[in-house]
Amino acid sequence: MLQCIYLLSDSGEVMLEKQLTGHRVDRSICAWFWDQSLSQGDSFKSLPVIASPTHYLFQIVRDGITFLACSQVEMPPLMAIEFLCRVADVLSDYLGGVNEDLIKDNFIIVYELLDEMIDNGFPLTTEPSILREMIAPPNLVSKMLSVVTGNASNVSDTLPSGAGSCVPWRPTDPKYSSNEVYVDLVEEMDAIVNRDGELVKCEIYGEVQMNSQLTGFPDLTLSFANPSILEDMRFHPCVRFRPWESHQVLSFVPPDGEFKLMSYRVRKLKNTPMYVKPQITSDSGTCRISVLVGIRSDPGKAIESITLSFQLPHSVSSADLSSNHGTVTILSNKTCTWTIGRIPKDKTPCLSGTLALETGLERLHVFPTFKLGFKIMGIALSGLRIEKLDLQTVPPRLYKGFRAQTRAGEFDVRL
Amino acid sequence: MFNQFGSTSETLSKASAVVLRIGTDAHLYDDPEDVNIAPLLDSKFESEKCEALKRLLALIAQGFDVSNFFPQVVKNVASQSSEVKKLVYLYLLQYAEKRPNEALLSINYFQKDLGDPNPLVRAWALRTMAGIRLHVIAPLALAAVSKCARDPAVYVRKCAANALPKLHDLRLEEHAPAIEEIVGILLNDHSPGVVGAAAAAFTSICPNNFELIRKNYKKLCQILPDVEEWGQILLIGTLLRYVVARHGLVRESLMLSLHGMDSNGFCEKDALVRDLTLDKEDGGKSDSFDVNLVNVVSKCYIEGPDEYLSRSSCLDPVTSAFDSKETTSVAHNEDVKILLQCTSPLLWSNNSAVVLAAAGVQWIMAPLEDVKKIVKPLLFLLRSSSASKYVVLCNILVFAKAAPSLFAPHFENFFICSSDAYQVKAHKLEMLSLVATTSSISSILREFEDYIKDPDRRFAADTIAAIGLCARRLPTIPTTCLDGLLALVRQESFAGDPESVDGEEGVLVQAVMSIQTIIERDPDSHDKVIIQLFRSLDSIKVAAARATIIWMVGVYCSLGPIIPRMLTTLTKYLAWSFKSEASETKLQILNTTAKVLISAKVDDFQMLKRIMVYMLELGECDLSYDIRDRTRFLKKLLPCKLASHEATEDSVASQENIAVHVVEHVFGSKLKPFLPLGLNDRFYLPGSLSQIVLHAAPGYEPLPKPCSFVFEEHDQLSDSDRQRDAGAVLDRSQESSETGDEDGSSDYDSESSVGSEFSSDDNERKVSNDASDPAAPLIQISDTSVSADQEELRSRRALDLWLDDQPSTSNQTPSAVNSNQSSYAKISIGDIGSRVKPKCYSLLDPGNGSGLKVDYAFLSEVSIVSPLHVCVEVLFENSSGEPILDVNLEDEESMKCILQQCANTNST
Repeated sequence: MLQCIYLLSDSGEVMLEKQLTGHRVDRSICAWFWDQSLSQGDSFKSLPVIASPTHYLFQIVRDGITFLACSQVEMPPLMAIEFLCRVADVLSDYLGGVNEDLIKDNFIIVYELLDEMIDNGFPLTTEPSILREMIAPPNLVSKMLSVVTGNASNVSDTLPSGAGSCVPWRPTDPKYSSNEVYVDLVEEMDAIVNRDGELVKCEIYGEVQMNSQLTGFPDLTLSFANPSILEDMRFHPCVRFRPWESHQVLSFVPPDGEFKLMSYRVRKLKNTPMYVKPQITSDSGTCRISVLVGIRSDPGKAIESITLSFQLPHSVSSADLSSNHGTVTILSNKTCTWTIGRIPKDKTPCLSGTLALETGLERLHVFPTFKLGFKIMGIALSGLRIEKLDLQTVPPRLYKGFRAQTRAGEFDVRL
Repeated sequence: MFNQFGSTSETLSKASAVVLRIGTDAHLYDDPEDVNIAPLLDSKFESEKCEALKRLLALIAQGFDVSNFFPQVVKNVASQSSEVKKLVYLYLLQYAEKRPNEALLSINYFQKDLGDPNPLVRAWALRTMAGIRLHVIAPLALAAVSKCARDPAVYVRKCAANALPKLHDLRLEEHAPAIEEIVGILLNDHSPGVVGAAAAAFTSICPNNFELIRKNYKKLCQILPDVEEWGQILLIGTLLRYVVARHGLVRESLMLSLHGMDSNGFCEKDALVRDLTLDKEDGGKSDSFDVNLVNVVSKCYIEGPDEYLSRSSCLDPVTSAFDSKETTSVAHNEDVKILLQCTSPLLWSNNSAVVLAAAGVQWIMAPLEDVKKIVKPLLFLLRSSSASKYVVLCNILVFAKAAPSLFAPHFENFFICSSDAYQVKAHKLEMLSLVATTSSISSILREFEDYIKDPDRRFAADTIAAIGLCARRLPTIPTTCLDGLLALVRQESFAGDPESVDGEEGVLVQAVMSIQTIIERDPDSHDKVIIQLFRSLDSIKVAAARATIIWMVGVYCSLGPIIPRMLTTLTKYLAWSFKSEASETKLQILNTTAKVLISAKVDDFQMLKRIMVYMLELGECDLSYDIRDRTRFLKKLLPCKLASHEATEDSVASQENIAVHVVEHVFGSKLKPFLPLGLNDRFYLPGSLSQIVLHAAPGYEPLPKPCSFVFEEHDQLSDSDRQRDAGAVLDRSQESSETGDEDGSSDYDSESSVGSEFSSDDNERKVSNDASDPAAPLIQISDTSVSADQEELRSRRALDLWLDDQPSTSNQTPSAVNSNQSSYAKISIGDIGSRVKPKCYSLLDPGNGSGLKVDYAFLSEVSIVSPLHVCVEVLFENSSGEPILDVNLEDEESMKCILQQCANTNST
């Protein structure tokens, strides 16, 4: 089981350590870890399980913060990784993001949360809604209160009622004056377009996100109009397996507040809403590059926040890029970002310019991959449709809301 | 006045900085010691205490030792404020072990809190009390835990379950039975949350006490979907281990299906298995499963790879097939059926660790035709965080190696996206080359073409290696691959100075090597490719690539009609460039010229001979040792060839003839294409840490031996499942307990009638069956305590392993062991040295050591110093007539003399 958790800043400083068992882990392990990651570079940083001379280390990196856990004995590595991810999620939920300052400023809350989330190296309470009841998240009111009175405890005196019930994700009796439940379909499109411009892979990764504010102990059923298009799915623990197995209906008692009900994948889509047409010609040390971006098949809603980013190859010494729409920025690490926004009516956005190669090179022989980003509100591109959401006992003044959006996930266009 | 103004502006600027971080604990973290902490701790205001404790925590977070505040902090444990209490607990757990005496002061307050009506207070007190690692309070803590294990609040019971490993960790043997009893109680709890935590406690305290699981098995399976995700992970593993220990592996499963083909003995008994194998044979079985590998994988799961691989070198894999009695079948076994049923919906879990654990169960236990349902959930995991993606890929790789056909239709999932980390890309490439089939290879190759142009050149080189692997697996594609690779070689070699770009060298070397791998399969039809490579030799600058091509010159020098005619020119070119080559290339040039010379025809011979002589002269005065050595070696070997050509043919000087044979054998023999066998891969249980780091992590245990847990039910006949199984299971359980029992079954049967009370002892019986002499049993099972150093978990386990290895057989010692103490029975070894002679290795023989003979042997004893040490016995023997003086035994590594001894023993 886990013995110790460290939080490291992006400069390798140990911000926080939490020993979990009696077998203390010395801080020097962090120094070792940081030395290794400096000397071995990215390939070490992306290695989630590391066998150090004394311990096994599990690491995840979230917004520059490294979450490091140590163990000396056999344990499921995915358990450690999933737990660290959960810690990172809870922290960013509490603090409104994770970065060095936020963690240092709220270190007491981090300690209290960690103590509640893991006991003796084994996860204890990880359900966000229960944690929120045990340890109050910092908010403006509590901050002002602590300034005025000089004392405001964020630790609850009483045990959340849900912590022990048979639906551990739900507080027993929340009360709302108006009952609201919102269902969001949030989809991401993953696609690969190869160098011949052919669509190699196109699939949708989607999540059903809910925000439920319902009084009492509601029992919900959610059904889809076309569940057969779903290829793979994973469910929140609250979803009952039986009804899904028999007639593909989601039946559940929801947690309170926001949560992810299920995630799914729809594969082998035939079309993308947008196209990217890059061209590159190189001759005697310079390359001409031009990229066209446009709408291939109109989804019916506006495509917003279109961006295109790519990494210039090492062999490019300087680049001069301009566009007829939007802005182009080139960072010092040779990352180019072209922010387009919406496609204008009258013209096709085009990025063009020249790349100067390093001396001695005639032609470019490695080519960048373009990553496309976009967002479409109001539509789920997979075509998944929610048929209905039913409550077993309908409370008074019930409001149900449905929304959908699609954005680009791993959308790679190779040149 | 001014002074006053200055100070206000200073405070103002301070204040403005504070405003942004107002209400947070920022100032405490930045400057924890700007006020005196000690008086604050003694303050009567809760808020000041709270602030002081926060400052202490800030110091802990920053890595300072603040244990000197311990006495003052402990006093505050009595505080009524929940926040102060929480902070004090956080502090206490950090330092309790360092300050045992002061920590004892807090015990009374914990005792009081344990009786508090608020369950949260009770739970906190229990957690902290169990976390204080003091042997003195262990009895109190144990009493508290056993009280809390019956607490009405679920949360408190859950904390009690979590507290058990803490107590177990203190290694107090007298408490062990009580701890396991509480584990049993908690496993039987009706709340899923408690059962999950109890499963975790079970795994770390008594993973092999299957009796506890047996009692609740059906209930545990039913409750599994409702258990919390973290508990599910461990509970799944526990249930799997139990079923294997109780019933053995499943006959229809992938693990055993292939044994059905090897040994038809038990295949014929079961119509279902026969049908399956027949089906598979029609559909090209060899393609869908790697028979040898599946065999290795399943043996590794049971025995642990280290043990298995060390043994497998001397044993034929087929002969070590599982005993058919140690298997079971899904159709007839209710327990296996339930396990499979309750784990399969967990493949939809939101937690990837749960999915992988459930997939592991299906992989090992599910019937062959059901295994494919793990594929899609596993592939869906690849869409989770990058860290879990890597771990999942490592596990999928093992599955795909054993059963490529499972993943073959889903090859698109392994296409690489630009945001993947390098390790993930490398694993995906390996997957692609594993699962490629004749139908998918064309799209996979098109992807590979794209990857070759990727800016990450290390990845591009890996891609080229993967192309080579694909081409070797699928004999139909090489021509297309070869053209592409050749074009790549040309392009790379003309791309200018390869050293200017990082990793470009690697790409070229890999391309040449992949071409070589492809040619190796069928050199005769690829002579054009070989010729092209030779032609491009001049433009290729990378030493490793040149060396490979030059090696090919030597190997394929007599292939086809054209190559032999090129040889004179080629060797001339090599001789010309010899001086400017890197040493690895020089070595290859020397070898190659020798090979060419041997297979040369008469008309070229004189020319080649002159070149050889020239090169040997050059090589003799080379800077590198290796090259000078190689030159000398060739010079000694080749004179028979270097002498006049006719002479070797006509004269039959015997010595020269031998030399000719040697030379022909060394240089002239034909190359056999070889396929590296993946048999050296190590396989650990799916989802384990060991599988990722590829060595057995401490605490890793393979699956228990099939049917090692034997439970005789009191009224066997009432069990309808057993009856239906036509006594097969019954026979199995009896016979397996009889294995190695020389006295036959009568002895056992009479005991089994004692019923369940005795049966829980079967775990140990297995071990006890190994003694050899009925009069004075070698291995004694008793419930007395053993010497202190044997209590170390690790050494005890090592002992068990060692005992299992002993091939000797005998009857068991029926010692009086009652049911709830049985699992703590100790194993003590009698005078083993007199019976089992450890194997002796000779260190020095009398011939070399001027009469001194030194032997050494590894003793089976546990070292008194540390369980990590190994005892070695060194035996000195003087076989000469004279006394030998001043014998030193030195440890070379530390250069420390560990043993100095004056031996004046005469020859004995």
